[in-house]
Amino acid sequence: MNKTSIIARAKDVTRRYKLGEEIVWALNGISMDIYEGEYLSIMGPSGSGKSTFFNMIGALDIPTTGTIEFMGADLFALPEEKQAWIRCNKIGYIFQTFNLVMVMTALENVALPMILQGATLERAHERAAEVLKQVGLGHRITHLPGQLSGGQRQRVAIARALVNAPAVILADEPTGNLDTKIGAEIIELLKRLQTEHKVTVITATHDAKMLDISDRIAWIRDGKLERLEERANVTINMGSMH
Amino acid sequence: MREKKQRMAERDTGGSAGVATVAPQSSIFNQQSSIGSQVRLPFRTAFRISVQGIRIRLGRSLVTVSGVVLGIAFLMSNLTGQLIKNGVAAKREARQQATLMAAMVRAEIGDVRDKNLAVLVCGTLRPYETELLSTIVAAKPAQLRGLGLTQEGVTPATPSTLGAGAGVLLVLGDAPSGAFALEELTQGMTQKVVLEAEAARTYAGKAALEAEASAVRRELFFGAQHEQQKARMAKEAQQAHARTLWIVVISLLVTVIGVSNALLMSVTERFREIGTMKCLGALSSFIRLLFLIESSLIGAAGSLMGVVAGAILPLLAYGFTYSFVTVLGSLPYGWLMLAGAGSAVVGTLLAVLAAIYPATIASRMLPASALRSTV
Repeated sequence: MNKTSIIARAKDVTRRYKLGEEIVWALNGISMDIYEGEYLSIMGPSGSGKSTFFNMIGALDIPTTGTIEFMGADLFALPEEKQAWIRCNKIGYIFQTFNLVMVMTALENVALPMILQGATLERAHERAAEVLKQVGLGHRITHLPGQLSGGQRQRVAIARALVNAPAVILADEPTGNLDTKIGAEIIELLKRLQTEHKVTVITATHDAKMLDISDRIAWIRDGKLERLEERANVTINMGSMH
Repeated sequence: MREKKQRMAERDTGGSAGVATVAPQSSIFNQQSSIGSQVRLPFRTAFRISVQGIRIRLGRSLVTVSGVVLGIAFLMSNLTGQLIKNGVAAKREARQQATLMAAMVRAEIGDVRDKNLAVLVCGTLRPYETELLSTIVAAKPAQLRGLGLTQEGVTPATPSTLGAGAGVLLVLGDAPSGAFALEELTQGMTQKVVLEAEAARTYAGKAALEAEASAVRRELFFGAQHEQQKARMAKEAQQAHARTLWIVVISLLVTVIGVSNALLMSVTERFREIGTMKCLGALSSFIRLLFLIESSLIGAAGSLMGVVAGAILPLLAYGFTYSFVTVLGSLPYGWLMLAGAGSAVVGTLLAVLAAIYPATIASRMLPASALRSTV
């Protein structure tokens, strides 16, 4: 891993939410560098702010103070067109709840990022079909998400994340809603993307198996970065983590 | 050993291990090192996605459409109702006046049947004059010569032959002056009686005054009554106008509220989808365009249905009340078309207007908050 090249960098990032009258600090000043081509797992109890941090890296949420740099540029100082370009071309998102467009078929869902990129319908459908085939859904491309199982939906979501060949995959508890076997397949797939295609993989997870294959593990608690460790220095007890 | 494991994984996932070849060529996973700008997509793309959304969500779209249909049908039925009522009222008024005028004609020459009559039309016939003419034609006079009009049962004549053998000359039409000399027109009449629809009409020819002196010129209306009638009609028209305006304003309000409510609902229940689209690189303007296209299509479809329903229902209702012949015969079709076109345009515009607010809200949302919402 080339530690000198940084793809994303968080600097003193805070995020404040208003819940009715109450003000909640979801993030309390996090600074972290994310290296190109690494597999980073973000750990933390629910409500720790890890999803919020995650959204910041993915240009989905704006920090209250602090900055996120992506590819050397201040992400939220960029105009909307550039932010959208980064979301479309550089980042592939995988969510726990899949977030498929329910009125589009599997094929159309996967083709959507290419359509938004400006590709022709034929080209987008051709490539989407190809990617769906590669995630093992070649026979169900005309189904609507409602007609697919959880595992199949997540594979559609993964195909969609990969279709524009992104540099970074952001996976927010990608195995959270899936059974162990399918979860394992997805972990395997993410790892292969990182090792074979130098894709940076960032996951938020509770899954011990995902920690096992990470390069680094960041622990977030109460909106702060508690620890940041190399995988080699962490002992993972698979039994007790579950 | 590791290879074997990988093969098993491949089999289990039905080939998901093939992700290795997901990139078109190996390791083109986006290596571009400068940040580009997202392209603005052509209208065609947005249109296609909108239409698809409407089609798949047909049930939900129909609910929204029905909101528009109800509003526009209400508006259109009020307009149609007013048009029918006015049409029927005008027809009745014209008939009443025609009856009155026919009585004057009879008072002058007795029963029209087997009599010789002449008709001169200056300008355009007014509705009650048309009625009067058909009454006279229906009464089968021996001869009915006419100048300035073409109508079945009326023999065309020249100014000099018009009066020949006639016992009365009817002068109708809305022009304030006649193009011919009265002397020429009354030439050869058995008795020089001129019945005028317009008391102040003047005639051509230097000998006009003398000619008028030698002919008996009477008005078809009793003057004072005519004025009173005119005033009453104007007042009624004004009242009807105010009533129509009030009803139209109310029905427009109903339409706006119905349409915005339906669209607001359809946007809020799709926040998640909007968040997802943004995540994948959709620009705010694209999201807004999607909703505006969708709402204009919904608006147009709903308005058309509303216009048809709003025209047919009052036609049936009044048709059963007054008889279909009266209603269809007295309906101003030009105005009806105009009301229909106007209502359709109003419905479509209102739908787009009503969608601007929710579409803007939706397009400005942070992707994260759109995704978080569980509406």
